[in-house]
Amino acid sequence: MTPIAEMGVHAKAGKLALQRCTACGAMQYPPRELCWRCLGDDLEWRVSDHEPAEVLATTTLHNSHDTHLRLRLPLRVGLVRLDAGPTAVCFLAESCQTGARVVVGSETDNAGRAVLTATPI
Amino acid sequence: MPAMDYGDAVACAPVTVPYVRRSDKGAAWWLGSALRKLLEVSGLDKAQIDGLCLSSFTLAPDGPAPFVQYVGLSPRFLEFLPTGGACGVMALRRAARAVQCGDAEIVACIAGNANGPTSFQDLVSQFSSFSRDCVWPYGAGGPNQSFALLTEHAMRRTGATREDFGKLCVAQRRWAQRNPLALLRSELTLEDYLAARPIAEPLHLFDCVMPCAGADAFLVMRRSRAQALGLPCARILATIERHNAFLEDPIQWRGGWAMDAEALWRQAALGPSDMDVVQTYDDYPVISMLQFEDLGFCAKDDGAAFIRSNDFTPGGSLRHNTGGGQLSCGQAGAAGGFLGLVEALRQLASDARHALVGGFGMINYDRGLCTAAAVLAR
Repeated sequence: MTPIAEMGVHAKAGKLALQRCTACGAMQYPPRELCWRCLGDDLEWRVSDHEPAEVLATTTLHNSHDTHLRLRLPLRVGLVRLDAGPTAVCFLAESCQTGARVVVGSETDNAGRAVLTATPI
Repeated sequence: MPAMDYGDAVACAPVTVPYVRRSDKGAAWWLGSALRKLLEVSGLDKAQIDGLCLSSFTLAPDGPAPFVQYVGLSPRFLEFLPTGGACGVMALRRAARAVQCGDAEIVACIAGNANGPTSFQDLVSQFSSFSRDCVWPYGAGGPNQSFALLTEHAMRRTGATREDFGKLCVAQRRWAQRNPLALLRSELTLEDYLAARPIAEPLHLFDCVMPCAGADAFLVMRRSRAQALGLPCARILATIERHNAFLEDPIQWRGGWAMDAEALWRQAALGPSDMDVVQTYDDYPVISMLQFEDLGFCAKDDGAAFIRSNDFTPGGSLRHNTGGGQLSCGQAGAAGGFLGLVEALRQLASDARHALVGGFGMINYDRGLCTAAAVLAR
């Protein structure tokens, strides 16, 4: 199973899974088959209900190339920095502004993919 | 150790296969037609092209080797550079080294993209694994969505407003009105720009390049050869490229140029104020502002002030994106990485003495990975 598919399995159970390198401790997202820092391939999943983060930038989308997502426009999307280290593109709850403290959780979308959503603390 | 100079390797023969909004022609037609134009303007025979640097996002399943059979070339030097907006400068510097070192005598550098009914959607939905898995599901907004985030951050950092970005877009449209190759030549006012519909806030319609089909190309050879062929040519004073710079920055507030600009100007033995023509990579106006800052045209965080204190229209204080840029010409995929370079070669063949060309490519996930720049002289 690919790392992103494994994330999807955890997301289906309502859990956010982030990769951690057992050799050097680096956290990473997007998931990979080896560690971006030390290139070791012994990675474990750190599984939680959600991870704390800070919103770095936001946008409101009015255009989509996907027919299903188009029905949900306008969509608020942002870039957040997880306290664990990596940055992540997320859906944003309405009140999440740039600079806000948030928590990031995971669920699956209608295609079964893991998607992240930030909500205010 | 500082980089060696490029000896007497020169760039010449800028050509464009005129862009169209949509086309049923495949990438090989666009690239091959550019090759035909190179032969027409240079008078060279196809067999004399012994090097090829190729860029396209729409050539699959073919790669560079299938393409050389498609068009009947037998090069002894072959590069494929699927690096988007950085591919022009990257092709130039590789071709120049090949010519300088004798690995090839005449290198054709060609970039082009097809644009069929679903080409753009196919490209952005499958652009890369990170993009497909960790960006596309969040609205499928394509590059507009990623650049919106970078733009919002840059506006907070510098105080840049929509009016500042609009000033760049409106000025480029004025230049485009002089360029029959630009797809968008109708008048654009700042009021039109500000009233446009939102696409991915803070980006609105005229901040976004229009996907299209097209190809651009140039030749690299020794100066004596270009002169014998009667081709105006440009010397390569300095080049830089960088990939995945500043990976510790949580959001991209500077590009790889900031890491290499000092080396660029040192190698050129010139500075930003010596440039008669500046071609920034303008897939979105914020990226032009980043280049002004990171390539030393103004101090970091002064990008908005720099835009306010300059006039970018024809006859203004800075000759910038003189063909109209991608914002008015359209973005023919990988050819967008060549547009500023071929325009610089045209300006140098006219009256400019020195030109700067910037490149920026590959929003793989949250930032543009590839940056490049070149300083050219007539």
